[in-house]
Amino acid sequence: MKKRGRGIACMWYPIGFTVAANASAAVVKVNEDGTATVLTGTVETGQGSLTVLGQIAAEELGIATDDVHVVSADTDTTPMDTGAIASRTTYVTGNAIRLAAEKAKEILFQVAAPMLGVKPEQLEARDRKIQVKNYPQRCIGIGEVANHAQFVMGQPALGSASYNPHTVSLDPETGQGKPFATYVYATQIAEVDVDDETGEVEVLRIVASHDCGTPINPMLVEGQIEGGISMGIGFALQEEMLFDKNGKQLNPNLTNYIMPTSLDMPEIEVDIVKNFDPTGPFGAKGVGEPTAVPTAAAIMNAIYNAVGARVHSLPATPEKVLAAIKVARAKQLAKPKAKALAKPKAKPAQKRLAAR
Amino acid sequence: MTDVTLKINGETRSASVPPETTLLKMLRENFNLTGAKLGCDVGDCGACTVIVDGMSVNSCLMLAGQLDGREVLTIEGLATPDRLHPIQKCYEDCGSLQCGFCGPGMIMSSKALLDANPNPSVAQIRDALAGNLCRCTGYTKMIEAVQESAKVLRGTPARRAAKANG
Amino acid sequence: MAQKSNKQSKRMDTPMSEKSRPVRSKKSAGIGLPLEGSGTLRLPAVAKQVPFPIEALAPKVRQQTPAVGQRATRPDGRLHGLGQTKYIDDISFPGMLYCKIKRAGISSALIKKIDTSEALAMPGVMAIITGKDIPVNSYGPSIKDQPVLADDRVFHAGDGVAAVAAITEQIAQEALEKIKVEYEPMPAVYDPFEAMKDSAHKVHAPASNIYATKLIKKGDVEKGFRESYRIFEDTFSTQMVEHVPLEPHCSIAAWDANGRLTIHSTLGRITLGRTDMARTLQLPLSRIRMVATIVGGNFGGKNEITQEPALAVLSKITGRPVKGTFTRVEEFIATTTRHPINMHYKTGVSKDGRILARKVRLVLDGGAYCSWSETTLGKACILSPGPYNIEHVHAEAFVVYTNKTMTGAMRGFGAPQVCFAYESHMDDIAEALNIDPLEIRLRNAFHEGSSSPTGQVLHSVVVKDSLLQAAERFGWKEIR
Repeated sequence: MKKRGRGIACMWYPIGFTVAANASAAVVKVNEDGTATVLTGTVETGQGSLTVLGQIAAEELGIATDDVHVVSADTDTTPMDTGAIASRTTYVTGNAIRLAAEKAKEILFQVAAPMLGVKPEQLEARDRKIQVKNYPQRCIGIGEVANHAQFVMGQPALGSASYNPHTVSLDPETGQGKPFATYVYATQIAEVDVDDETGEVEVLRIVASHDCGTPINPMLVEGQIEGGISMGIGFALQEEMLFDKNGKQLNPNLTNYIMPTSLDMPEIEVDIVKNFDPTGPFGAKGVGEPTAVPTAAAIMNAIYNAVGARVHSLPATPEKVLAAIKVARAKQLAKPKAKALAKPKAKPAQKRLAAR
Repeated sequence: MTDVTLKINGETRSASVPPETTLLKMLRENFNLTGAKLGCDVGDCGACTVIVDGMSVNSCLMLAGQLDGREVLTIEGLATPDRLHPIQKCYEDCGSLQCGFCGPGMIMSSKALLDANPNPSVAQIRDALAGNLCRCTGYTKMIEAVQESAKVLRGTPARRAAKANG
Repeated sequence: MAQKSNKQSKRMDTPMSEKSRPVRSKKSAGIGLPLEGSGTLRLPAVAKQVPFPIEALAPKVRQQTPAVGQRATRPDGRLHGLGQTKYIDDISFPGMLYCKIKRAGISSALIKKIDTSEALAMPGVMAIITGKDIPVNSYGPSIKDQPVLADDRVFHAGDGVAAVAAITEQIAQEALEKIKVEYEPMPAVYDPFEAMKDSAHKVHAPASNIYATKLIKKGDVEKGFRESYRIFEDTFSTQMVEHVPLEPHCSIAAWDANGRLTIHSTLGRITLGRTDMARTLQLPLSRIRMVATIVGGNFGGKNEITQEPALAVLSKITGRPVKGTFTRVEEFIATTTRHPINMHYKTGVSKDGRILARKVRLVLDGGAYCSWSETTLGKACILSPGPYNIEHVHAEAFVVYTNKTMTGAMRGFGAPQVCFAYESHMDDIAEALNIDPLEIRLRNAFHEGSSSPTGQVLHSVVVKDSLLQAAERFGWKEIR
């Protein structure tokens, strides 16, 4: 018989390396037509970092995403970057790029100021223009400024910068310190059906509320959350590397290492939490790893809610779930005797959902 | 050596390959069609999916020799110089691909589905994509893209004409 | 490699008369289409590129200002959809050789002898190297305990003992079988708790099997337990899992005449990869170029070098570019995995469900090499109390060598494991105290300015927001 359950799990996760320096450097070049090129040593590993980093540079320069071309991943031509690891790219590399873009923008302001008859600090970059703050009617196209900078003033608009998160080392005896500059937080709630005769678990629905500071590109944040959840489902219910008694793997292949397919995915509802981290680029933090963190916990709690069975080791295979159900049933049968001895307690609120 | 003459993306092509060469290897190495990927080489992951005579297959499981006289459609054969194939466009607009490695295989499986079933349900889409593993995306935006593509394809003149003619 | 079929050679060899000279058909606007007249114009095998689909006009969303917050489509997404993205395995160089690595197949042994003579004699095999051919045969993000190819010891069944470069992948693979290795089996240990005992076989003797520890102490946890209304204790454990990126590890090494090495690689961190290459090959950094294109999935498994120094040495010996692509089996047995963790939690709570004290003990199965274990240990320990205000915390963690596949960085660095533990534990506490699971979390969750287990004052904290938002969206309060 199928029993339905729901489970909640929340988590926190840090951005960047633990205490250790993990800098990123970047170069932003404004081309003489107002478009821009970004040089970054990071590597695109599928998460969409190059797109996000381009959006950050574009925002700082007041131009559009499509006006920015991002060059990456060549130690000969791109500056150092600690890498696509520890969910650090948007925050650390993003900050480096924003700072580099700001420096390039400063050159544009220096050049545009006399053209507009104002001081550089009165200027802002918006909508592909360099314009006067609070009086945008006085403006020049960013292309015109960039061209003037390079060919008339002989000052090409480029900037380079690096960024490293601010940490404090941990005391070797107590572990006290500031290991990370910032953290992200999230909650996932899972709804499952558990077959109490076979132990099979079907994940029906997951609601995910993730904090990532400002979502630079909400579509890519959703993609990370959906992907992270699929890894979480595999971790919770399916995946396991098995070894024989001689330390050799029994299932080093995708036939016998079970991981989620399109058939295993639930309905996912993503709800990005509104937040702004002043230490991040335009308030952004990160999202790559946190998405895979609370899923298994939410599913395990949902299984417990459905059939009263606590699985203590992952993955919660049907065998383990059945075994846990049996343990729970045995406990239930033993309860009436224990109740007579203990103080009478209020009955736990009914947790089972009504069958839909 | 095995001689093979086949049609790839509408063009007749030939190759002479060692007999143990898979269709995947032949596509990638002899014809430089590197869209189909090698993810496992044993038919588990679907990254090598192409369409042979209208059916989606794992090209790592077919020997090159089996393709003599047959027609293969790969990812490189979908777009024309003028436009992306609607499936490719929808995948792009929905943000369905992340690292992209499973993409060509996933798109070919999507095409095979929509060729056979122009109005698939979500369950049917999941089923059609079940042989294509993806580790990055969780499949969610791919299912959306296939639904969008289906709508677009149903609305195209060729399909409308076919519908009108019964 | 492609060769002209017999039929075609015949046609090309026949001289053509004026009359039968092929005329380009008016209809065939493109190249490579059959022509009228005899024969077909045969082009070199180059995939037809689609340069400018009409949709090349950038999608509107990419033209918007301001840029932050836009659901901008990805330019690399377009190339992915067209199959035009070049991953490392899609790249070839003229004269390129293929490398395959012989895997030990035994989890703990001394290597007595490696005989490569039969394999070297195979036609098409160009070079074979072992650990002694690597100038500095060790690497690792912190402890450099991992060899590129085994020295005289094997520490897990996926250890590489020899690397072959051959003119085709097939030949390289066949050559592996002809390499004869004599092993003297040694004791092994597979369970971290067994490995922690003094009597256990020392994996990297004389070093202890417990190769790193971490301790976080805040307040006085025993005092906290004394003040608690009730104490809960439980143990949770997680399994070893693999990243399973769809793209296997792949690298190409090539030298130029100035002694400069270029590595094309699926590495997710090229700056540090270059440093690793400099160290293992004893080269100045200016002589090394490391290039990545787009990685087909990383998740932490492509955060350190694997075969690159071996490829570089093979390339140097043979004078040709050398490409190595891991098989899917190698992805499982010879790359890093996620640490299995055994997690013991002891939590003291007040009557209304506030956590007063938490004691955590984590034992991580650290596999055969350190890899990213120190980072995982640290993060797991720091995160293990959960996003909750707890005055008294004692969290300690140990990572232990075993003769199994090395454990390293995998999406979350210990967080998925400890979250499973502390959130399962939280629900058990909630049920025992008859408090709603959402409510108990709201009572304990961090808020702006909370102190973390390491005493850090937290900012930009939204745990409660995320709890309430998810609950609202789910309809948590409506269904009881």
